Amino acid sequence: MKKNTILIVDDMEINRVILAEGFKDEYEILEAENGVEALKLLRSDGSITAVLLDLVMPELDGMGVLKEMSKSGMLTHIPVFIITAADSEKTLMDAYNLGAVDVISKPFMINFLKCRIGNVIELYRHRNDLEAIINEQIEKLNKVNLSMIETLATLIEFRDCESGEHVQRICGLTDILMTKVSEMYPEYRLPRAEIDKIVMASILHDVGKIAIPDGILNKPGRLTKEEFEIMKEHTTRGCDILTQIPDLMSADLYRYSYDICRHHHERYDGRGYPDGLAGDDISIWSQVVAVADVYDALTSPRCYKAPFTHEKSVDMINNGECGIFNPKVLAAFNDSLEEIRIKPENEKEES
Amino acid sequence: MSSMLEQLRELGVNTEEALTRFMNNEALYIRMLKKYPAAAAGVDPAGKFAAKDYDGALTDTHTLKGVTGNLSLTPLYKAYSDIVALIREGKGDQAAKAYEEMLPAEKAIIDCINNS
Repeated sequence: MKKNTILIVDDMEINRVILAEGFKDEYEILEAENGVEALKLLRSDGSITAVLLDLVMPELDGMGVLKEMSKSGMLTHIPVFIITAADSEKTLMDAYNLGAVDVISKPFMINFLKCRIGNVIELYRHRNDLEAIINEQIEKLNKVNLSMIETLATLIEFRDCESGEHVQRICGLTDILMTKVSEMYPEYRLPRAEIDKIVMASILHDVGKIAIPDGILNKPGRLTKEEFEIMKEHTTRGCDILTQIPDLMSADLYRYSYDICRHHHERYDGRGYPDGLAGDDISIWSQVVAVADVYDALTSPRCYKAPFTHEKSVDMINNGECGIFNPKVLAAFNDSLEEIRIKPENEKEES
Repeated sequence: MSSMLEQLRELGVNTEEALTRFMNNEALYIRMLKKYPAAAAGVDPAGKFAAKDYDGALTDTHTLKGVTGNLSLTPLYKAYSDIVALIREGKGDQAAKAYEEMLPAEKAIIDCINNS
């Protein structure tokens, strides 16, 4: 089994050698003769499991090292033992307050030191292992939840006369457009992690279609006014469904899913549904999914129409035939045409 | 036990305690003792006391306190502990005097190490 590594930091070689001699059988040893060297090793060597740290040193003292380690979050997984000839109460309390796990006075007895340090390293190792296990479980749980959400969305699509790939295409288009909008416009800039959540949330945009009668959902011809009113309800019915399954996803994902589900048919000029929101009263993610949804609907075969070509679909979106969109979202869309077009699933064979 | 350790013991050095610290590795202890003269010469408490630079004197004597403690050079460790305490109490002049008084004991130990 690979040995744990201890970093010994002391400006006096004699002190380092005594410690190294005491620990060399059970641990790999790294040495630094001042705080600057110590931080360099801590930043470059991920294997360090504990630090034995002198306080009074040239260049950067032990307190300085502790502060830097605290600032960079290293103290949460690397225990630091202060080994010092200092005996002032204030110094010792300062060291504890900065995050040292123990303060050991020189001269020390190496056998006691080995027991104290060994116990703490073992505790940290267990804690770090537990954290890794918990993170792994959370990741698995998220994957299961995502696959349940995808299954749900796909089932709905099979009720519709779509192929079941619509959801995947919407995810891909949302990713491309949201990333582009975020890059192009500082007011819409979002961190990557948030964009990933929005992409995931787009999966459920049409979940409300499960509540729409087959006769309307799969009608090959044009819907009557009354039928269209019922069809429009898929946005609000979707929200009703989502409120029943809030535990299936994180709070953020739920918030994005709910918003997209309700507002992906709103239009920038206020002529969309269900709430008739206009401009930036519509969230940017719902505006993006709206464009993605329209593009995919145009380029895909539906039970009531053949697919349009990429070029024709782009023209229809730009000239307002499918409703008015935010000019900034349209600019991002037009700037992404190559990327959108090279996705083979975005252009279907004539059915 | 080597003759050097016998002589150091006569000068008050707690060699038994030190050997426990060095995992009973006598050769290593002697090797580290041989480094003490250079370690002591590497700092300059005398110059700092003369210049009344008590912060600098504290750093140097604090360092030597740690080293003499780990080598169990007991008379020096006790003296350096007192000197550090005096400087911390703001009694720089008394610390300088205590340092002067300690020097013969340090010289005797360093001579013993260098001559063995």
